[in-house]
Amino acid sequence: MKKILAIAFALIALPGLAQKEGLVVTYDKTFYWIKIFDKLNYLSVEEKSRIQTSWGANDEGDKSKGKLLVTADQSKFVDMEQEADGGYRGRKSEYMVFRDFVKGTKTEVEEFAGKMYVIEDSLVVPSWKVMNKIKDIGGYLCMMAVSEDTVKGQKITAWFANDLPYSAGPERYFGLPGLILEVDINNGELVMTASKVEKVAAVEGLELPKKMKGKKLTTAEYDQMMRKFISDSIKSRRNPYWSIRY
Amino acid sequence: MKKTLLLLFLCLNVLFVKAQTAARFNLKGSTVDTAGAPLPESTVMLLTPKDSTLVNFARTSKDGTFEFKNLKRASYLIKVTYVGYLPYQKEINPKDAETIDLGKISMAAMDQNLYEVVIKTFRAPLSIKGDTIEYDPKAFKVPPGASVEDLIRRLPGLQVDQDGTIKAQGETVKRVTVDGKRFFGDDTKAATKNLPAEAISKVQVFNEKTEQSRITGVDDGKHEKTLNLELKDSHKKGGFGKATAGIGTEKRLEGKVNYNRFNDKNQFSIIGLGNNTNQGGMSWDDYQDFKGSQSFNWGDDGDFGFGGGMRYISFGGDEEESLTIQAGRGAQNRGFNKNWAGGANYNFDTKKTKFNTSYYYNQTSQDLDATSRQTNFLTNSAFTKLDTNGRRNFNENHRGSLRFEKNLDSLNTLIVLSNMRIGNGTSNYFSHQEYFRGDQDTTQLSNMSDQRNISDFNSFALGNTAIFRHKFKKKGRNFAVSVAYNVNNSTGKVIQRSTNQFFRTSQTVADSVLRINQTNDTRSLRNQVKGSLLFMEPFAKKFVMESFYNFSLKSDDVDRDVFDVGEGGQTRNVNLSRYYTNKSTYNRVGTGVRYSHNGLNIATGLAVQQIQLDGKFAIDQGQPFTNRIDRKFFNFTPNISLNFDLKQNRYLYGGYQVGVSEPNIRDLQPIVDNSNPLYIRVGNPNLSPTTNHSINLGYNHFNPGNFTQMFFGAYYNYYKDQVIYSQIVDENLVTTTMATNISGGKSFNLYGNYGFPIVKTKSNFNVNASYNRGTNLTNINNELNRTTNNGYNMGFRLDYTPSDKFTIYTNANWNITDTKYSIMSGQNQKIINTNYGAEMNVRLPKDIYFNSRFSYNSYVNDRYGFDQKMPILNLSVYKTMLKSKKGEIRLSAFDLFNKNRGISQSAYQNFVSQEQVRTLARYFMLSFTYNMRGVAHSVRRKGFGY
Repeated sequence: MKKILAIAFALIALPGLAQKEGLVVTYDKTFYWIKIFDKLNYLSVEEKSRIQTSWGANDEGDKSKGKLLVTADQSKFVDMEQEADGGYRGRKSEYMVFRDFVKGTKTEVEEFAGKMYVIEDSLVVPSWKVMNKIKDIGGYLCMMAVSEDTVKGQKITAWFANDLPYSAGPERYFGLPGLILEVDINNGELVMTASKVEKVAAVEGLELPKKMKGKKLTTAEYDQMMRKFISDSIKSRRNPYWSIRY
Repeated sequence: MKKTLLLLFLCLNVLFVKAQTAARFNLKGSTVDTAGAPLPESTVMLLTPKDSTLVNFARTSKDGTFEFKNLKRASYLIKVTYVGYLPYQKEINPKDAETIDLGKISMAAMDQNLYEVVIKTFRAPLSIKGDTIEYDPKAFKVPPGASVEDLIRRLPGLQVDQDGTIKAQGETVKRVTVDGKRFFGDDTKAATKNLPAEAISKVQVFNEKTEQSRITGVDDGKHEKTLNLELKDSHKKGGFGKATAGIGTEKRLEGKVNYNRFNDKNQFSIIGLGNNTNQGGMSWDDYQDFKGSQSFNWGDDGDFGFGGGMRYISFGGDEEESLTIQAGRGAQNRGFNKNWAGGANYNFDTKKTKFNTSYYYNQTSQDLDATSRQTNFLTNSAFTKLDTNGRRNFNENHRGSLRFEKNLDSLNTLIVLSNMRIGNGTSNYFSHQEYFRGDQDTTQLSNMSDQRNISDFNSFALGNTAIFRHKFKKKGRNFAVSVAYNVNNSTGKVIQRSTNQFFRTSQTVADSVLRINQTNDTRSLRNQVKGSLLFMEPFAKKFVMESFYNFSLKSDDVDRDVFDVGEGGQTRNVNLSRYYTNKSTYNRVGTGVRYSHNGLNIATGLAVQQIQLDGKFAIDQGQPFTNRIDRKFFNFTPNISLNFDLKQNRYLYGGYQVGVSEPNIRDLQPIVDNSNPLYIRVGNPNLSPTTNHSINLGYNHFNPGNFTQMFFGAYYNYYKDQVIYSQIVDENLVTTTMATNISGGKSFNLYGNYGFPIVKTKSNFNVNASYNRGTNLTNINNELNRTTNNGYNMGFRLDYTPSDKFTIYTNANWNITDTKYSIMSGQNQKIINTNYGAEMNVRLPKDIYFNSRFSYNSYVNDRYGFDQKMPILNLSVYKTMLKSKKGEIRLSAFDLFNKNRGISQSAYQNFVSQEQVRTLARYFMLSFTYNMRGVAHSVRRKGFGY
């Protein structure tokens, strides 16, 4: 009886499995916080250069990891738990980006200023410019594309692999002919590089969580909130970039 | 009618359909290799020709075909890529065609050699623009100081012959340009041999028309290989510096110069400063500009203990004369100080090796004139001391430091530190003291004492530490070992003279007079050898076990020779002279477990430690030892710590620690020190170490959304075997103190702070309050006195920052301390200190700024009618000038009302005291600053916003 059940389950699961063929990609993220100070226009040239000379050479970057699950139809990105190294471990902030390429929708869960937000909206592909530059990332030949985030004031450089025909990428980045394997923000302020690309026959865990706590926002509302926060912080001479996901 | 309508409708329909076909078009084609075989799954991108914006993309099917339907009618740049092939691109213009068939797009294989070498080996960004191949030199490692030729040798597809001739894809490079310009005519080697590789940002190889065809304008079809070198925008090197000089009334002068020169690996800096305006030494900003990348170093502390995994920045000791440069001590508000300082620093900085060396000299001359009043409470009686004293101190130090850090490989790090200080100083102290019976300074004169001490000292101290850290392959498993050797050698000579008159029967003629005239030569040498081990082992993903061992052997060798100076010369005072040696051995071993997961960090641990003291005392060096102290102390010290990163920017932290501190060697010496005949110290060889139990708990919260912040917390300390100074006061009001152990002293503190914007970005309000309670125990004439302090503190801050032209900052602070003495319950003291402050900044036209700072302090103790008020107003006006605002001229007025004094009051143990010190008051100053990085001014206060 058990065997029959198992077979029955397998049969039911089969069509699902076929659809779930895709990738599990691990991204290593390094955030060079020292470079951020150059953006704070209320600091004087002297203060900025003092920060660079005393801390710049020692900034090895804040390291973290994220995981992207992707199929032809959907993708989901989440942060990974920091590995124990004997030191202090901070709380993992809640973050998830889910995209449905078939329906053309996205759901992002993000913690900001101590509050949870759920951004649900249609997928709007960023405007990418494809450049004539190539490099190798983990054995995949990648091309360069650039874009701009006017809300956070970021110049985004993405490297995508034509060999991996998924129009997805880490965090908020997607919309290129191949999977984005590296993202560089403002010439190295933040770098996210794929460290592991696994091809799997069935991607597990690629579904929206049943419960998502947080205030619902549209992309436009989220952008407006960010703009206001950044401009208020700069006016109040506080570094806004500690409190937002850069 | 119907017919016409139908016709019209039809016409419109036709028009509409026509318009639609005109607006949209289809594009198709297929990709093949040079042999004509289809290339399935190749990527076809449509970009705008203007700026390469991606409009659409597709993949070719199995037969290599692709098709875009209903494209907006516009020009496109079609770009086709296929792994191992050179990208293909072409601009297409649909004009009015309905469908464009690009036919077979033939893709050329990328030079396999080039592809393999560039892409696989070097992982180098390589860009291809038309026939231009561009290399990024960052990806090709060349040794420091290498020339461009060395760099080119490493670039795939390029060759350099024996004679320096460059070949690109087998063809000889005929021309080398720098930033597109010819470099030394046609000699292609001039640039490549002479330019440093590190100055180059890009290397480009392309075909250029021949000189002939460029002159004639007729393309003869011949091309020459050209190599272009692009230079870096800012080849990272530079320098900055700042100089300030000021001249004022009352002979006030100040000046400061610093200069820092750096390139990507080396930093060199110098600083020099001098002032007689109580400005002290280096500020933190000066320190950072001086030490550069070596300002702050993590993990330089070799004394591993609980929390050994936490590496932090250590700044030497808190003591006045530490081995390392002390910065940020701020202004000196006591007396008149003259300061001089200067030094040089050099850093060498690479990812693998860091080296730092510095020299720093500082000197301070201080004139300090003070008056104080102190009432001491005894069992049902009291006495009051009035003291008028002066000090002329001089102090100078030379400090040298070396630091070397080497990342031997990714798992092993070695740090070697050596710091040295050579210091000397002189001090000249004179004091007139009057002792009265009772708690007023009028009732009955008891003693009068005139003292004069002249001292002179030299010291040498050296601290060396080596730390080796090893990370195992298993993440989180770490090992560290440290060894240290410290030396402290000092000699001092003190001449002590005093005349002490005792009045019992008369108020004018002394009943007895005691004169002291002594010289005291002390020579002391301390050697210390230390070592520590640390091992950390992670387990069960969320836990780390840490174990450590510390060892220290400290040996002291002190020779103290006291001579009584009489008319017949010097005679050795055998009661006060001592030679002693002391060996203190310290061993500690501890282990703990830390749990850390998702923001919750809890650590618990236990250590056992043993301190062994072995001291020997003789009347003089070479004499037999008369006393011996041989004591062992054994303690368990538990440790608990909590750090909880809660949601919504809330943090909870706390802990419980037990600390053991060994008794001071001076307190252990079995001698009677009567160099001050009114205050005699007696040593106690039976002292035990003090055990301190401390508990703290705190919470803080910051809301970045609405900028409110809050923190509060509490801490508690309990002392076991605390070393206190018991007092016996005789009928002549001579106090004899002896260090004794006592248990039961404790302190408790509760604090809180809340800040929020009244108008976001324009006005902030902050309130803070704290309460503290302390219990201090002392034996007074063999009776236990319990002094209880209750302190209440409250403050407000209101900032008003409406614009870039005007700001106001105000604050108010109240501090009330109630003190009760158990031996004299009628003598409760209430000390009230108050401070009000206001600061205004105005930006006037033409880069002129105005700053005014007012503070009002009041110090009140009603019981003694002590009521001092001190209004201080500082004003300054300044203007930025010169090109790029590099200059500033400033006129300042300090203490416009001429009221500045150093005032302090306290109630402690069995006394209450007030002191006033003469200090720098009103003066005016004109100063000029030149800053290579520009003088930036703002009406906003500094210090926030990081």
